Amino acid sequence: MVKKAFGAALLFVLASVALAQQPAPPRTHLKLGDTAPDFALRDTAGKEVKLSDFRGKKNVILAFYVFAFTGG
Amino acid sequence: MKAYQADIAKFEESDTQILGISVDSPYANKRFAEDLGVTFPLLSDFKRKASKDYGVLNEEQGFATRATFVVDKEGIIKHIEQGNTAIDPNGAYQACSMLKKKP
Repeated sequence: MVKKAFGAALLFVLASVALAQQPAPPRTHLKLGDTAPDFALRDTAGKEVKLSDFRGKKNVILAFYVFAFTGG
Repeated sequence: MKAYQADIAKFEESDTQILGISVDSPYANKRFAEDLGVTFPLLSDFKRKASKDYGVLNEEQGFATRATFVVDKEGIIKHIEQGNTAIDPNGAYQACSMLKKKP
């Protein structure tokens, strides 16, 4: 009986792990407190914008989005 | 992006710059910005370097997934949101107003 319950519990854990791993959207390796990697990217006017441009001046929200013309 | 634009006044008030980043070309971003009336910069990570550096690039499909990072004035990451919740700017906003309160 105990063995059965243990088996069921183990199965449940394994199934959860498998499920959790299945859809694998990339998770960032960055952590809170890390220094944000600098970048230099072009805006819509072709002007280069660097993260370090805002150092000491402003907080920055980086909103990565999937594609233009999608929601969000 | 729409939601961020709607709240832009709140963010500007807390001394915060919003930057949208995707792997689209600057041209596609421009049309996107015009369509939505977005006034903050949309940056083109055409080479996918920033997406890689931030660990948000879906290598298989070659595009960045939805993620939000709040970076303070010292360049330190203060808040991370990934997946669908990242569409809602409230978490990021709260993180910013916390930063603002700090002396």
